[in-house]
Amino acid sequence: MSMLDDFLRQFINPYYIQVLMLLGIYLIAALGLHLITGVTGQLSFGHAAFMSVGAYGAALINLHLDLPFLICLLAGGLLAALAGVFVGFPSMRLAGDYLGIATLGFGEILRVVFMNLEITGGARGLAGIPRETSLLTIYVLVILTIFALHRLQNSRFGRALVAIREDEIAAECMGIKSLWYKVGAFAIGSFFAGIAGGLYAHLLQYLNPGDFGFARSFELLCFVVLGGLGSIPGTVLGTTILTLAPEVLRFSSEYRMMMYGLLMVIMMIFRPRGLLGGVDLMRLVKRVLGSRRRGTATPAG
Amino acid sequence: MYRKKKLTALVVGLLFVFAVITGCGGGGQDTAGGDEVIKIGFLGAKTGTHAAYGVPTLKGMQMAVEDINAAGGLLGKQVVIIEDDHRSQSSEGATVTQKLITKGVVAIVGDPTTGITKIAGEIAQSAGVVLLSAGAVGEGVVEIGDYIYRNTLLDKLAAPVVTKYLKEELGWEKVALVTSTNNDYSVGLSKLFRNSLAEHGMEIVTEQSIQDGDQSFSAQVTAMSGKQFDGIIFTGYYTEGALFMKEVRAQGLDHVMVGGDGLLAPALWELGGDAVEGSMVYTGFEADPEGATGKTLDFIKRYQEKYGELPDMFAAQGYDAVMLIADAIAAAGSDDPAEFKETLKQTADWQGVSGTITFGPDREPIKSPVYLLEVKDGGWTIKAVIPVDL
Amino acid sequence: MDLQTLLQQMINGITLGSTYALIALGYTMVYGIIKLINFAHGDVYMIGAFVGLAMVVMGANIWLAIFVAMIACLCVAVTIERVAYRPLRGSIRLAPLISSIGVSIFLQTLMTLMKGPQPVGFPKVITNTIYTVGLVKISTVQIVILVVAAVLMIGLQLIIKRTKMGKAMRATSEDLHTASLMGINVNAVISFTFALGAVLAAAGGVLVGMYFNSVFPLMGVMAGLKAFCAAVVGGIGSVPGAVLGGLFLGVAEVLGVAMGLGSYRDAIAFGLLILVLLFRPSGLLGQPEQRKV
Repeated sequence: MSMLDDFLRQFINPYYIQVLMLLGIYLIAALGLHLITGVTGQLSFGHAAFMSVGAYGAALINLHLDLPFLICLLAGGLLAALAGVFVGFPSMRLAGDYLGIATLGFGEILRVVFMNLEITGGARGLAGIPRETSLLTIYVLVILTIFALHRLQNSRFGRALVAIREDEIAAECMGIKSLWYKVGAFAIGSFFAGIAGGLYAHLLQYLNPGDFGFARSFELLCFVVLGGLGSIPGTVLGTTILTLAPEVLRFSSEYRMMMYGLLMVIMMIFRPRGLLGGVDLMRLVKRVLGSRRRGTATPAG
Repeated sequence: MYRKKKLTALVVGLLFVFAVITGCGGGGQDTAGGDEVIKIGFLGAKTGTHAAYGVPTLKGMQMAVEDINAAGGLLGKQVVIIEDDHRSQSSEGATVTQKLITKGVVAIVGDPTTGITKIAGEIAQSAGVVLLSAGAVGEGVVEIGDYIYRNTLLDKLAAPVVTKYLKEELGWEKVALVTSTNNDYSVGLSKLFRNSLAEHGMEIVTEQSIQDGDQSFSAQVTAMSGKQFDGIIFTGYYTEGALFMKEVRAQGLDHVMVGGDGLLAPALWELGGDAVEGSMVYTGFEADPEGATGKTLDFIKRYQEKYGELPDMFAAQGYDAVMLIADAIAAAGSDDPAEFKETLKQTADWQGVSGTITFGPDREPIKSPVYLLEVKDGGWTIKAVIPVDL
Repeated sequence: MDLQTLLQQMINGITLGSTYALIALGYTMVYGIIKLINFAHGDVYMIGAFVGLAMVVMGANIWLAIFVAMIACLCVAVTIERVAYRPLRGSIRLAPLISSIGVSIFLQTLMTLMKGPQPVGFPKVITNTIYTVGLVKISTVQIVILVVAAVLMIGLQLIIKRTKMGKAMRATSEDLHTASLMGINVNAVISFTFALGAVLAAAGGVLVGMYFNSVFPLMGVMAGLKAFCAAVVGGIGSVPGAVLGGLFLGVAEVLGVAMGLGSYRDAIAFGLLILVLLFRPSGLLGQPEQRKV
């Protein structure tokens, strides 16, 4: 697969490939958070922590057990899902901002633990991870993630999650065991974060607990909210814009992050529900097509 | 009406994406035309938590480039620095490295931290670009490959000789060891000190953990204050070192601190004031403006004129990094990394401003002698010159 | 640990805790009224420290420095509210939160550009003497911090309980819509709340700058996050809760470090936060929230 990357390098600037790979990784992680926060309505300020579980899990399994890359990746994802269940059960007693705060706390604790563990290399970080991630792997996984989430959202499970988001008490009255569904959503969302983490580890070849602090968690949350809560195209758009913005803004050198901060505020003020919040793309496309068909039909008739 | 608004937003969104794509296209134009100038990349943080290390490195580099160009350039070409900011984030460190390479740099100076150097090192090695870190001291850096170098004072050479000096010349027997646990440099250096202290039969009576970014050290100092010890070995950076000593004095203790070149910045006494008087720092850089000689003295004076501040260790090593690369290019007669990496490897007894450098058979830098500097009246004075025996 | 060390550590913890409390009050008041976690609050505190530092460098005494810092932060916080939060009132809950993160990034970068990334030392403004009271030692700076914090907190309590504006604040936090129907100028109340929070944070910033002797652009990040934990531990929305939470957190952290858990320092604050949330979800002094059908 890396042969394809070498092939691509002949035509595409390696800098773009690097940016695109990171974008793909953030897309997978953000889509996981989309399920938790966008679809189920559960606030999580600790999504980066699940990424770190996947990253360290996959890297350590690869370094110590020497298993094939995809198995390591999957194992990292499952470990993250397990962490999601572990965090989810006690936290789900909490609602709204309190849940967010608790996940923030878990995330920070996990970071400090990784900072002090011997096996993760502590503050010195974990180096020597082989480079396995390629552009192709990442984007195949992005497409799989989008497909899986799209199917999930339109299943019985997904509809239950939306019901919980809209009104938890009403959902419970309709016989939805909300705790079970919420923890389920948390685990699946964390699984995708873990996969993203595993890809990240095998792309950068070095991990440091500092990479997965609360700042990264908030970044992921911004991707999801700015794109439009509950919308997969929205999450993709939000992630793309906010990941590419710091790169595009490089021309402004020192003022880059100031402009990034301003951009966030301005985008929020002009689209308070997110870029694609409340926009149903499928319906929009149909309507545009429909009106055009009608438009062409009228003169003929 | 409402639908119109939605559509407008969508169009705006799409326009933005379009701008992004075209914007990217604009950035990659300068790949060609690398013939008139020699490009050296700066990899480091200008914003974020590591900015305090990246910014002086860049200042040192800029001075070196001015010196080279004033003397007629290199191989008849002008040298330019290609710089970008990774805001202290690993992932952006990788992106910036890749971007510098695309812009046609022949060598990269950076990153000041070991972590990002390891990420960048893998990329530079596979792209065949020389990377010389002006700050990475941790393990596993030059092992990445034959394009990867560093010009730092290696603690594994310096810590044992300094420990010996503390015991034999200053008569220290018992010490307090302070480590910053979220700083890879500090964790590594403390490990080295634990070994060398044990070798010399010295005792660590108390170990305290702090973290980079902490401001309050009262708990650690109170915990130390009940113990009997001769001095404090502090392995972190200057900010925390200065604040830690402030607290030590505030609680009425009169011990002095000894540390590695992570403490080597004027900020040490700017923040610490009287509290760091008598503190000692070991380094390869003769930072004492009175005691310094030749090249180093000249560098300190000119840096002060140019930037209005004393150079710190990062500035001196940033300057040397560019000069080392330039000398290697001149010696090879070529700016092809594959060729000048070989001449760089042969660098021996090279007089830099941050010390005398030889690259050993493992391509690790050997800086000898080690200077033990002492803070006196808000400035450095050379307390001892200790040769490193190999 | 003997009694003397323990008491000494308690003093350390209370001093640290009262700085957390000063910042926590801003979080708790804003949250109480508009249910917004104002992530830019830590950066307002940072700006307070920088303004105070600038005043001291210009030769002002500590009280004038605190006063000017308070005025500056008041203006900054009210502007932030007007520009970045007010247009988002009534939209989804997460919108102002994201906006506040944007503001926070903006302010941090702005100050890094203006003042450089290096920590700046604080000139000596008070002659620091160490007094021995019984078993423990306490310094002038510590006394100043404790006294200023106490005075400000009592003042705040008086404003909230005794003044008309305080009454309006309490009514607004109970129910924003009903309050506006009762003729309360909700916008003014919210601006006032932000101003109050900023004034306290400014004082906290100058005091911390003086106590720890360093001021830098990212100083508001961890301090803000910890103060926010303190607000939640005490019961978010409750003013005495924020004070209690701050002190509790400060003492717990210091004792944790004293017991040799220095490398887990940040985990102590957050671990405590989670424990409190699990057993008393509304915090130590918070009102339990009722779920309405």
